[in-house]
Amino acid sequence: MEARRRAATVLTYLLLIVSFAVFVFPFFLMVVNSFKNNGEILESPFSLPTSLNFGHFAEVIDKMNFFVSFRNTVVITSLSVLFIGVFAAMTAYYMVRRPTRFNNGLFALMVASMIIPFQSIMIPLIYIYGAKLHWIDAAPIPLLIILYIGFGSALSIFMYHGFVKSIPYELEEASLLDGCTRTQTFFKIVLPMLAPTSVTIAILNVLWIWNDYLLPSLVLTKDQDFTMPIKMKVFNGTYMNNWELLIPALLLTILPILIAYLFGQRYIIRGVSQGAIK
Amino acid sequence: MSINIYGGVLLKKTLALFLVLLLVASLTACGGSGNSNSAADSGGGKVNIVIVNGKGEIASQWEQAAKDFMAANPDITVEAVSGAVGETVNLLDKLTASGKTVTIAMMSPDSIVNKYKDFGVDLSNEKWNADTVYGVKDINGKIAGFPFSIEGFGLVYNKSVVEKATGGTFDPYSINTRDKLKALLDKIQASGVKYPVAYQTENWSVANHYSTQFLNQAEDPNTIVEQLKAGTFDLASNAVWNGYYDTLDLLVSKAYNKYGERPLGKYYDDAHLSVGKGESAILFNGNWAFDSLKAVSGASFGFIPVPVDNNPDNPLNNKIAAGPTNILVINKSATAAQQEAAKKFLDWLVYDQKGQDFLVNQAQVISAFKNNPNKVTNPLGVAIADAVQAGKTLPFSSNYVKVEDWGNILAPDIQKYIAQKESRADLAKAIETYYKNQK
Amino acid sequence: MITEKSRLKSLGNQLFFTGPTIIFFALAVLIPFGYGLYLTLTDMTSPVNPIKFSGFGNYKTAFTDTAFWQSMWLTVEFVIATVIIINVLGFVLAFLVTSGVKMQNFFRTALFTPNLIGGLILGYIWQFIFVQTLPSIGDKLGIEWLRLGWLGDEHMAFWAIVIVTIWQSAGYMMIIFVAGLVNVPKDVMEAATIDGANAWQRLRNVILPLMVPSFVVTIFLTLKNAFMVYDVNYSLTAGGPYGSTTMVSMHVVQKAFTENIYGVGQAEAIVLFVIVAVVTGLQVYFSKRMEVAA
Repeated sequence: MEARRRAATVLTYLLLIVSFAVFVFPFFLMVVNSFKNNGEILESPFSLPTSLNFGHFAEVIDKMNFFVSFRNTVVITSLSVLFIGVFAAMTAYYMVRRPTRFNNGLFALMVASMIIPFQSIMIPLIYIYGAKLHWIDAAPIPLLIILYIGFGSALSIFMYHGFVKSIPYELEEASLLDGCTRTQTFFKIVLPMLAPTSVTIAILNVLWIWNDYLLPSLVLTKDQDFTMPIKMKVFNGTYMNNWELLIPALLLTILPILIAYLFGQRYIIRGVSQGAIK
Repeated sequence: MSINIYGGVLLKKTLALFLVLLLVASLTACGGSGNSNSAADSGGGKVNIVIVNGKGEIASQWEQAAKDFMAANPDITVEAVSGAVGETVNLLDKLTASGKTVTIAMMSPDSIVNKYKDFGVDLSNEKWNADTVYGVKDINGKIAGFPFSIEGFGLVYNKSVVEKATGGTFDPYSINTRDKLKALLDKIQASGVKYPVAYQTENWSVANHYSTQFLNQAEDPNTIVEQLKAGTFDLASNAVWNGYYDTLDLLVSKAYNKYGERPLGKYYDDAHLSVGKGESAILFNGNWAFDSLKAVSGASFGFIPVPVDNNPDNPLNNKIAAGPTNILVINKSATAAQQEAAKKFLDWLVYDQKGQDFLVNQAQVISAFKNNPNKVTNPLGVAIADAVQAGKTLPFSSNYVKVEDWGNILAPDIQKYIAQKESRADLAKAIETYYKNQK
Repeated sequence: MITEKSRLKSLGNQLFFTGPTIIFFALAVLIPFGYGLYLTLTDMTSPVNPIKFSGFGNYKTAFTDTAFWQSMWLTVEFVIATVIIINVLGFVLAFLVTSGVKMQNFFRTALFTPNLIGGLILGYIWQFIFVQTLPSIGDKLGIEWLRLGWLGDEHMAFWAIVIVTIWQSAGYMMIIFVAGLVNVPKDVMEAATIDGANAWQRLRNVILPLMVPSFVVTIFLTLKNAFMVYDVNYSLTAGGPYGSTTMVSMHVVQKAFTENIYGVGQAEAIVLFVIVAVVTGLQVYFSKRMEVAA
């Protein structure tokens, strides 16, 4: 028994280490190449850099207007993710607890909407909010946040939907009997219990919005509004990519979410231990 | 508990406020529609223009040019917009759909006879026409495109490798027949370079650039396009069309091509790396190839014309395809004042010292204008500029086809031909069929 | 389940809980989609051209566009390959990183890193690997089929896209599985162990049934992502060699924005939507029925 368990542990480690190598390899490539110039990158993409040259990082920070684009990305991502999370949890909760025909229909509609090819709505989108309503000119960042909430709620509701079901109804009933309103019950009882799911959903939404290129490229037209992925495109040439700047730019773009993700991990664990009490 | 209830109420209120704000925003925005336009004249005698640049790599220079121009013309405000390469919706469409009036747009020369044939104003009477032959005509034969940049393509060669093989200085124009090209490849091989050619097969390269060269057999390539549309041009029996593919066969053959065994693939970077480092000697591309070559090499480069047959007197064998690849067009639907301001900007590019400096020294673009005294530093650019000076150029043939269609619809057939999965007769048929389907 | 005391209160709750979502959803998705549907009935060639009504001509063209159906068929093959592999791999990985080994959080984080890099860039990085690294490894080890770049052969290029997609998505699905796995009550597991269930029985009879909500989500996501694959397709092969790896989204984008047949491209996007809607609808319908209601 003991030997078998040990064998299982060794096998687990082996599998994890192999997948680790495969999954992290491109990441390693990026770090290594961020210190090289174009020639070295093309000639020997896999070798270690000969020196730690931060020159390209400096150039990238300057050319990307880094601090402005970073701020824009943070504002857009955090507000969108927050609103998506709250609204989606509320809607999913209500849909599960009140499965009226309207709510079921709405749920089906939202699930179906996730498979709309984005390409098929981008022209209408810029036409309506640009030429017709002029929101693109007047308030591009709020518009972008509104659109993210709209696009993101479907998947988040879909994910919450399954997990709300697993929350025992008795707890809410007790709260309702105590005289709490439905709203209070939701925020006091249900939302905390959804914490692990919320963190997962938030992480997935952060990654999506932080890295998104297509939607902001349609909505944002002024330099002061640009997000990091948009600014990064400066380093794409007509015929070739300027790797020596593109790679450091990429690294700078993902570094904040990498850090955020490491923190998110911790919350997942905390959320898990809380969930275990139930 | 009370805090929590409070929290709920607070949230409810915030939400309500948010929604009200949203509604208000939508209503005011609706009221504002009609002719509110950020780029329209904004009183005070000041004119606002929007100038759009499609070359992402010169974004910062473009911005600076707008500033310098404004400094010289205080009554004009310029909004400079640059697009990234490879955007799904092109910048002009995007801005137009979002309700902006672009005053000056950068586009490819084929656009003003195809997609944007109703877009531009007549520029035939502009002063700068006297200093260039590269103004681009619209469907009515009027000059509507200001030539922003000249580019050219041919067989890019690594000077030191070729000179080592030929022993002594090498004149690229001495290769004016296919047999001479083959002899050169053999010589290079004999000097120890196993694969003299690194042939990259990007869509735009094999289709738009290489495969349109046959159009240059007519003085005006448009006449052949018209015949193709009418179904009266027989490709399969056309000597020039076949000749270019005979040369292609030579270049991609296993004997000479680094990728001969599997000629298709994403070899752009690798091909430039090989030629840059001298592991191969020749590739087919344009002056922009230098951006990739210089990354690995301090060597110098030049252009050999693409030979089509074995007649040394055939002009096609002695000239390099070069012409405007980006043009500036002034929008018809801009106001008269905006159009005037835009024309001023074009004049500034040609005649103002700062404008000339921006174009050539800053943006590293080959100027289409005789009066521009500056020279680019890129040796391939210099080769093109010299060819322009010496009159050794053919039209940039891809300007006469729909660039998007050739890159998407016809490129797969050409690539199949290169991979020997399609016969030349089938390729001819595919091109003829495509043109028959064009209205 | 619950009955609100008054209809008014019930309406108030309905508005409060679902109102914001409905408004944003309508603004971002429903209204533009509706307008897009209308555009398929016009002969709009580009966003700046005047619109003329043209009936169902675009749909007729779409249905007779053989290249469209070819790309659709290729996409179906792609869907089958990726959905199966990603879900199996994602679940196995999730299982491993929740098995209680040391550093499991480190592995969880590491296996997720591919998702930190946007799809376009991923494609460019993997190009390096398929065009340069693998051939050089093949050269050294004398493996004949590895000696040339993968992206010049239609079958290998297809599998290259599959591999990158798996690599990119497996970690994402793993995270969703992890969220499900940690929700499996410990007491149930302990009870099963005490009852003498071995690891396999625990997996089959306890864990998998409780994982159904996660599988509903992951299968749905992998299905949808695979049907709509674009970024990796574009940046890795750009449809090459000779158009043989053009998946349906890429075909639609080319039609609409590169060839400037906007109406037809839009109509094909709608056809794609209907097909994916039917497939995923069936999947969600059947798997939701398997969910254990708590």
